[in-house]
Amino acid sequence: MDFTHLFVELVLMPLIAFLVGLVMVLMLRKVRAKIERRIGPPLLQPLYDIVKLYSKKTQVSHGPMHEIAMMVALGGVIAMEVFLPVPGLNGLAEKGDLIVLIYLMMIPSLGLALGVGACANPNGSIGISRALTAMVAYDIPLMIVVAGVALFHGTTSLPEIIAAQQAGGMSTWGIVQTPVLALGGLIAAYAMLGKEPFEIYVAPAEIATGPMVEMSGKFMGTLFVMQCFQLYAVGVLYTTLFLGGGEYWISFLPKIFAVVFIPLAMTNVFPRYKTEDVLKWMWKWAGGFALAGLALVVMK
Amino acid sequence: MNDLDLLLLVSIGTTAVLFAFGTWRWAGALGTLLYALQLALLAVMRPELPLASGIGFEVLGYRLQWSLSGLGWFFAIITVASALFSAWFAAGEWGQHRRNLRLLHGGLALNVTAMLILLASDDLISLFIGWELVSWASYLAMVQRGGPAMDAAYRYLVYALAGALAVLVAIAMIAAQSPALDFGSVRVWFASAGNGTIWTVMLLTMAGFGVKMGLLPLHLWQPAAYSESPGPIAAFLGAISSRMGLFAIIVVLAQLIGLERLGNLPVAFSFWNANEFWAWLAALTLIVPTFIALTQNDARMLLAWHGIGQGGYMLLGILIATPLGVSGGLMHVINYACYQAALFLAVTAVAHRTGTTDLDHLGGLINRMPLTYVTMLFCIIGLAGLPPMNGFVSKWMIYKALLDAQMPLLFVAAVIGTLGTILSVYKLIHNTFLGQLRLEHAQVNEVPISMWLPMILLALIVFITGWMPGLFLDLVDEAVVAIGITQLPHHLGGVDLGNGGLDMLWIVGVLLAAIGIGAIVYFLGNRSVRVGQFDNYAGGQILTADVPYQYSHQFYAGLLRVIQPWMRGGMAWGERALVSGADFLGGAMSGLYRAAPAGAYLLLAVLAALAVTLL
Repeated sequence: MDFTHLFVELVLMPLIAFLVGLVMVLMLRKVRAKIERRIGPPLLQPLYDIVKLYSKKTQVSHGPMHEIAMMVALGGVIAMEVFLPVPGLNGLAEKGDLIVLIYLMMIPSLGLALGVGACANPNGSIGISRALTAMVAYDIPLMIVVAGVALFHGTTSLPEIIAAQQAGGMSTWGIVQTPVLALGGLIAAYAMLGKEPFEIYVAPAEIATGPMVEMSGKFMGTLFVMQCFQLYAVGVLYTTLFLGGGEYWISFLPKIFAVVFIPLAMTNVFPRYKTEDVLKWMWKWAGGFALAGLALVVMK
Repeated sequence: MNDLDLLLLVSIGTTAVLFAFGTWRWAGALGTLLYALQLALLAVMRPELPLASGIGFEVLGYRLQWSLSGLGWFFAIITVASALFSAWFAAGEWGQHRRNLRLLHGGLALNVTAMLILLASDDLISLFIGWELVSWASYLAMVQRGGPAMDAAYRYLVYALAGALAVLVAIAMIAAQSPALDFGSVRVWFASAGNGTIWTVMLLTMAGFGVKMGLLPLHLWQPAAYSESPGPIAAFLGAISSRMGLFAIIVVLAQLIGLERLGNLPVAFSFWNANEFWAWLAALTLIVPTFIALTQNDARMLLAWHGIGQGGYMLLGILIATPLGVSGGLMHVINYACYQAALFLAVTAVAHRTGTTDLDHLGGLINRMPLTYVTMLFCIIGLAGLPPMNGFVSKWMIYKALLDAQMPLLFVAAVIGTLGTILSVYKLIHNTFLGQLRLEHAQVNEVPISMWLPMILLALIVFITGWMPGLFLDLVDEAVVAIGITQLPHHLGGVDLGNGGLDMLWIVGVLLAAIGIGAIVYFLGNRSVRVGQFDNYAGGQILTADVPYQYSHQFYAGLLRVIQPWMRGGMAWGERALVSGADFLGGAMSGLYRAAPAGAYLLLAVLAALAVTLL
């Protein structure tokens, strides 16, 4: 692969991720509005919000770590996109596999955690403690799912997993071949998004939005941008593992939107779990389905 | 005299010199230089491996000999390097106002010598001698602070002696049947031995060597013993001491019995083989201590518990028995040594300035001790096994090898350990450096260069070898070949496998570039105003500095409410039961000898005679 081509891919992949992520945020808000019988924001509202946040006059920084953490968090989500192959763009998927990707996805959380800690706000610290606990809740099922997928396809390389699923049309999709695993993965993906009932670390009524409590202006803006990337990444990752990845953008985009839409459509009618209930629920159901799916894969 | 003889001689000389001049002002610096010399000697002898020593003699028909194989060389590099950084750290201000410096420097050097002798052993008797030397040398290192350290060290000694007896029994069993005790003959003997014999010998040696490694359930002595020793010593012990147990286990399981044989050795009444049995024990060793570490309130205890857990990864990797797994397991030894030493040093630096390692009484030191913070940050990322640090590479290799070897549940176990580590190390850095600065620490300063330079260098090694893991993989190759496993093809950035590889050069490069973009985006925003560390609010109220509001105690309350019911301290209970059982027996025997009247002896003797006659 020549260098210019690679460079274009490395620029394009995060850019697409950001743009699609913006639309996903819009979808999130539109869905919520429809359920609450409002009209919802206009098309460009997410973009306006980012511009507004970055250009705010009052921006409070709690020292260098607070600022560096924002750069690391944003950098982490950007870096993770180039390891997620999308139609026509493989990026660096050859240089790091599924396991690398999953661990790269933890970098932004860690960066954010450090930044919030540097703010020295007790609500923020409680939020991070809950966020990391939530990570334990959904990552264990997610990793069981990853193990199942890797075992099923005999590889951890994402392009190879996609190729194996596209070999026989829809019948070779992960969701058809390993439906139980796919269900466990979907629940884990839902919890990864951190929406109700799993939004223990935001919990506005208890800990005043937790990690976000000291974030003003561009700090909040960075979180907003991160959310765009993360929604997109969860959609693409799930599509890659179970929905045959994407051959063409025209078929790929509906899939990733569908993956994100399912949790977003459900989340609005839920209250919030307690921390320990998130753990128990995720381990029991997501973990249970994932283990059952893994057992089915092993027996095959 | 070849290089190995010279190395052992220099090492013994170092011990002698440091015991003699331990209280001299420049003793630490001298020690550092002498360790550097030993490291240079090790580097020089690399092409000559395996290198047999000229020293060797015969006792009661058994030949004792020493020879450094690639495996021993690999561990020796880590040992001497750990000692170098520890001695360097202690050489400056840290050691100036301390008593017992002679014991500190001399004890460290003695440990290195003992470990080198162990690592160069070439037969079972020299292995045992080395083992005992290491055990007693560590006791000397642990005992220095007195008080609780004495108790912890004594507890260690009891474990170590019991373990050594088990090993001795195993060696006696082998000696009774094998014609000679050098590794070559023993290997041949193992190949012809029956399954039952191998199991007995293996269980005995694993019980003995497992003590040092902290293999479950023989780990209870370790956290207190390591964390109660003086800072630099704790760094050295934490980085490498337990790995001597791993080394001996590798010698027995991989070099003598052979990993293939292990896979064909059934566990009675089950579908398991010996390999899976030990692999699951390793998995338990990596999960249980990690979650116990999560509950610790003392920084050093937290690190020491992680030390036990990380040992589980190494053993697990080696037991996978594929080139990728073995390389990953061994690479984890050197990666771990780098960040664990640096973490202990960082915690020591904090203790040096604040006088405490209690995680409930620290916080907010980030602006006061930025370099120590950076050290800890780099190294906790390594310990947690996240990119871009070196801990990620070795853990990735272990994960990948587990998946390739069709062991998904062990993979999940390894991941659970990693998740627990992430939580625990965040608590460590949060409670020490982030959050509220305590008023009494508001005037604390960064440690002097003699202390921060070794720490920062270690942290840089953690980062650079994460970026270019090939640097360490070259060293690992020597050990892998010595075990008899095929060398893993690798390049500077990692490994290239058919089904998903790893190229850290790209991964870290992209990550850094992306962080650069993150920085550009950040600076595109409007200017922010920095506020002071004490400027904070919560619940609509201004928080003042004299009110403690740091969220540190029971940091993961939610998680602990779920997992604490499983942590019932079963193993500690078992230990206490053993102790009180021994106590009771001892009391009974003592009572029998001291208090029982002569009539009772007569009665017993008559009863015994009667029983013998009747039967």
